[in-house]
Amino acid sequence: MIGLTPLALLFTLSAIGISETVYLIKKRKAEEIPVCFIGSGCHDVLESKYNKILGVHNDILGLIFYIFVCTLSALILIEAFPISILKTVDVLIIISGAVMSIYFTFLQAFVIKKWCFWCLMSALTVFVMTIIVILSGFMI
Amino acid sequence: MRKSGFHILRVGIAITFLWIGVLILKDPAGWSGYIQPWAANLIPVPLIEVMIVTAFFDIAVGVLLLIDMFTWIASLAALFHIATVLIVSGINQVTIRDVGLFAASLALFADTVPSNLIPKFLKPKVS
Repeated sequence: MIGLTPLALLFTLSAIGISETVYLIKKRKAEEIPVCFIGSGCHDVLESKYNKILGVHNDILGLIFYIFVCTLSALILIEAFPISILKTVDVLIIISGAVMSIYFTFLQAFVIKKWCFWCLMSALTVFVMTIIVILSGFMI
Repeated sequence: MRKSGFHILRVGIAITFLWIGVLILKDPAGWSGYIQPWAANLIPVPLIEVMIVTAFFDIAVGVLLLIDMFTWIASLAALFHIATVLIVSGINQVTIRDVGLFAASLALFADTVPSNLIPKFLKPKVS
């Protein structure tokens, strides 16, 4: 049985992730530079050749990831489907998100050599989600 | 309102509405208990159905606020919803939270309502 707190945290973090990625998608569509609160490398990172995977923009992949985590967290709470299946899918998605975040952080540090505030925020969000999943008994 | 402050408030209220919607879906019968008997008697359909509709309404408001789309309509809907909650749930220990949510929704609405709508309601008619 998963407590309310980890589900609420996962839900909240993924909702924050949705708002972040929607902001980045809107800025990209409007061909505007997003606000970069810390540093000045956001534009360089977001416009680099690494901003897509298999032709899909990373912000869209991020949005899909966060929508899945948010929806799954809500469904686990509501107990709408067999919880064991939902938990397994949620854990797999969050771990794959963490792996992708490690890859993107590596790219920023060693390949592009610029830091993007929004990418780091997203990576931090995913890492915190992973810690919640590990500590809260999701894996059991 | 400063741009960053507006977005923090918008996302915060969005998450609140989304999460309340999910919690109501989990236990609509329990949440219907917050409705005062006089208000429950006025509702012609089963309370659980009303709560389920309310949950989806809250989730819709939350989604619109989260993605910053039709924000003024969503914040107006949030205002009406919280006003209704304040009326039908009576005064208790957590009423003050609803007052805070009401004020936050009002701030969002005031900041996003289209400027061409304001004169229609607020500008005094000059004869």
